[in-house]
Amino acid sequence: MRRRVVVTGLGAVTSLGTGRRELWDALLAGRSGIAPVGSFDTGRYSVHLGGEIKNFNSAGKILRLGAGSVGRASELAIVAGRLALEDAGLDAQKLDGERTGVSMGTTSGEPREVERFNDLQIAGDPSRVGIGFIAQYPCHVIASHLAAELDVAGPNIMIPTACAAGNYAIAYATDELQAGRADLMLAGGSDSFSRITYTGFARLGAIAPERCQPFDKNRKGMVPGEGAAILVLEPLEKAQARGARIYAEIAGYGLSCDAHHMTASHPEGAGAARAMERALADSGLAPGDIDYISAHGTGTPTNDRLETIAVKRVFGNEAKKIPISSIKSMLGHTMGAASAIESLVCALAVSEGRIPPTINFEEPDPECDLDYVPNQAREIDVRYAMNNAYAFGGNNASLILKRCEA
Amino acid sequence: MASRIVVTGMGLLSALGDSPERFHGSLCEGASAAGPVSLFSPEGFAAQLAGEIRDFDPRAYLGEKNFRPLDRTSRLVASAAQLALADSGWTAEMRAAQEVALVLGTMFCSVHTISEFDRRALTAGPSYVSPLDFANTVINAAAGQTAIWHQLRGMNSTIAAGSASGLRAIGYALEQMRTGRVTTALAGGAEELSFEGFCGFDRAELLARGSQVGPGFAAPFDKSHGGFFLGEGAALLMLEEAGAANARGAKILAEIRGFGSAFDRSRGADEKSGAEAIRRAMQSALDDAGSTSNQIDGVIASAGGGAADHSEALALQSVFGGQDRFPCVTSVKSATGEALGASGAFSVIALLESMRTGRLPGIARLTTPDETLPPGTISSRSREISLRSGIVNSIGLDGNCASLVVTAPERAS
Repeated sequence: MRRRVVVTGLGAVTSLGTGRRELWDALLAGRSGIAPVGSFDTGRYSVHLGGEIKNFNSAGKILRLGAGSVGRASELAIVAGRLALEDAGLDAQKLDGERTGVSMGTTSGEPREVERFNDLQIAGDPSRVGIGFIAQYPCHVIASHLAAELDVAGPNIMIPTACAAGNYAIAYATDELQAGRADLMLAGGSDSFSRITYTGFARLGAIAPERCQPFDKNRKGMVPGEGAAILVLEPLEKAQARGARIYAEIAGYGLSCDAHHMTASHPEGAGAARAMERALADSGLAPGDIDYISAHGTGTPTNDRLETIAVKRVFGNEAKKIPISSIKSMLGHTMGAASAIESLVCALAVSEGRIPPTINFEEPDPECDLDYVPNQAREIDVRYAMNNAYAFGGNNASLILKRCEA
Repeated sequence: MASRIVVTGMGLLSALGDSPERFHGSLCEGASAAGPVSLFSPEGFAAQLAGEIRDFDPRAYLGEKNFRPLDRTSRLVASAAQLALADSGWTAEMRAAQEVALVLGTMFCSVHTISEFDRRALTAGPSYVSPLDFANTVINAAAGQTAIWHQLRGMNSTIAAGSASGLRAIGYALEQMRTGRVTTALAGGAEELSFEGFCGFDRAELLARGSQVGPGFAAPFDKSHGGFFLGEGAALLMLEEAGAANARGAKILAEIRGFGSAFDRSRGADEKSGAEAIRRAMQSALDDAGSTSNQIDGVIASAGGGAADHSEALALQSVFGGQDRFPCVTSVKSATGEALGASGAFSVIALLESMRTGRLPGIARLTTPDETLPPGTISSRSREISLRSGIVNSIGLDGNCASLVVTAPERAS
């Protein structure tokens, strides 16, 4: 039997607050973190909204590497990591370095380093172009900066599988713990707001002009965002031995690839369905066991329709009974951090018996005919929560968290 | 009992050949990919040379198709995948019936596409960028494009660990297969030679300077530590569970026996800390394989001509130093250059070909060998060697260390 892995700490930096409590309260209250973009001029764009973290302050959190010495996605990850350790009741000074690892996901890594590269080149300042690029740009720096900051030398990995990356990273960390290669893992995702990402989604016509309305009939698109979330994972027996608060247990996961289109989902939801089925089988569950689904739910007309098809394909008659919500309605799409933040939400859902709503939901869409938890958080018994994430490249990742019954 | 994972096919695109046999032959001849760059101008940089694949044409591997959606990295990976699938006899019909996973290691993936996309938005305006290019700005673009091209519907993952990316990808696939999540996988790595990468490495003063490939130039384990030159390419292994591979009568090229990784907290800044992390990676790969260090006949090292080579020499000494027979050690990087994400998979293919042919490539241009290694351990020339069991090391610049233990296929009795 494989080692049981549990979630004992939660840390997040988001447009709706820093730390588990601020974020969770905001999500349950149905607040929105979306506002006009401030990090670059959107004057030449037809859309202007983003889910940026305004006034992000890493003071007092980046101790060893030094504030300002690393890029924004690394800073977000470090702050989320330290918050997660505090939340787990662990002293960052007393970690067992060789048995503590880091597993992170991202879509873009540190894209602002490429942007700086280009700004300098266009400004005609060639002698400065590329300085610091190798130390700061490649996406693996997010995981290595976090490990160096915490002085931990256990398994260290960066999995840049775009918008499903957080789930991949948590799955990897779970495997490392189950295999006994580590006793503690910090796992999650981080992405910083980027003009490159914004430009791309704007060009695709995928950004909503006014608000993000997943599954609503009049939904007009997604809203790019940023953030980081990290979960502290450890084997059940270690968590119990130290008397840790246990939020949830990782029940299982499933991965698949559409192999259909780089930016659009499979028209029948085939790949997404295979990931969900695989996650259910890995967890030893039947579709009827799932009490809550955290949707990918970007708010684009196509994603939400195809995601609904995929859920119905797997859950059949049970589909209409399962509450499904998208916190992207409030945070926007935080890219590689999204499924990590959503895993944090699932951990809180199973531990507290509350689920966040899909906000801005006004008019049901006949093609999206499931229970999307419109506008109001709910108190329900959640034994098993499924977190679905889909990405460019046709990557699908479903993770199941369960209430930990020791 | 954990399942055994074997290699049933290889595919590579390199500046030294597009088949494992030609690649290994070039390595043994002491050839070098270092040469002038045509993809961009190196004017103004201290380094002038790189290991570019000249005249790379994906049509030679993938036929007359529309390649516009694929950038250079994706074309290299899709081509290498074609070669690996063909080598293992894994047909389109088989792919339709059974999922094949893909795990790709890369440091930058499509950094040039990403950068050009941003530059176009800045200069022409945000509405003039191409949606096709945007699809390639994600770091998993090459893995996604290759999955679409070859209908690989299994788990699809991208691993970024600098120069250790390719080996980490193989290790990740190995673990997914051992736990039964994946039965068949393409795993390896890729990197394109990009202006952005070249510029960054040159500014970081990590590249070998000048335009002459003389003695000691970018020579692994050479005391001159003059830096490496950048290479490029893609290399993928077809991995299958041994029972399934035997059942379908596949040719078995090698067995992947064990993998280990470790992180150097000093991220290369401290020689001893670096050496200790490399030692840990090697030892955990040996443990994972159920092997002991005296069973290892040969090592394909990560060394490429930079200062980190000495840490690797120290680690080799600490793993093998106490035994009667020190394994033969070599590196492919005086020939291939530092191909970043592709390096680890290049090294594995070099090891497999060395096992098959009984000849281990030398380290071209080695002039003043690091004396940490016992005399005769490294050589500037290729050597005849009986190689049954080997280790491949891959060490990133950012603290990521990885090792893989591979054994030759069991001889038919």
